[in-house]
Amino acid sequence: MSQFLEMGGYAAFVWPAYAVTLGAIVLNIVWARRALARSREEARRRLAMRGEGA
Amino acid sequence: MTWTWFHRLGSPPYVYALAARLTPWFAWPAALLIIGGLWGGLVLAPPDYQQGDGFRIIYVHAPSAWMSLMVYTTMAVAAAVGLIWRIKVAHAVAASCAPIGASFTFAALVTGALWGEPMWGTYWEWDPRLTSELILLFLYLGYMGLRAGLEDTQRADRASAVLAVVGVVNVPIIHYSVTWWNSLHQAPSVMRLAKPTMAASMLVPLLLMLLGFTLFFGAVLLVRLRGEVLNRERSASWIREIVNA
Repeated sequence: MSQFLEMGGYAAFVWPAYAVTLGAIVLNIVWARRALARSREEARRRLAMRGEGA
Repeated sequence: MTWTWFHRLGSPPYVYALAARLTPWFAWPAALLIIGGLWGGLVLAPPDYQQGDGFRIIYVHAPSAWMSLMVYTTMAVAAAVGLIWRIKVAHAVAASCAPIGASFTFAALVTGALWGEPMWGTYWEWDPRLTSELILLFLYLGYMGLRAGLEDTQRADRASAVLAVVGVVNVPIIHYSVTWWNSLHQAPSVMRLAKPTMAASMLVPLLLMLLGFTLFFGAVLLVRLRGEVLNRERSASWIREIVNA
């Protein structure tokens, strides 16, 4: 296991590269869901202002 | 052949519902492919005879770089369709692409730097490939900044679409930079017309990652698209059902 983590001496380059990319994946999921929630909230507010809301 | 399916793709309520229904069909295969690709790339693939285990950066670098170009191309095509046929949904697709593309362009640059240092002896060089990829990041950021600066969505759609379409010239420049100029960067070993120049045990995990990232783009795009479609609708009755659900 520790041999795996050492990455043949390239650990300081390999693992940060994987971390940044997986970080991009996770952030994309979080940001996209948040953007959709915000758009729904804004749409709800727009409808409420027109008196068309629930 | 009927064109009804194509016309329906211009209809916001149809697109909203379709995007919601399709998202898991992209997300789950993407997750499986990426997990499989990580396992293959980090564990099963043998070390490279020159680069040792350092070459494993390819499994995150190449898919990120692929995303940076593929997402930009999608964005530019959607923007052009939006400009030419004045289709709101096409503009919504283009706007959804930008943050996704920007994040993976950033990842491609950082993973490239982390690969460059041990192999070339430098994190950064003003090399044609590296510089044109950095310009791509600025194009994405410029696109997003322009949109953020324009209050009116319709104006933002049109202005940013022009930028996206003009900026697409950078895509072939990035791709061919390594053949047109002397570059530190290696020439393509997978994205080329001839057969790939990698052993199967190294190539298969890379292909899994490339496909997984592409499907992941689809899933994130579909989620963002729903929000962008909502942003472009004012009082349509179908929205009421969605926001109150």
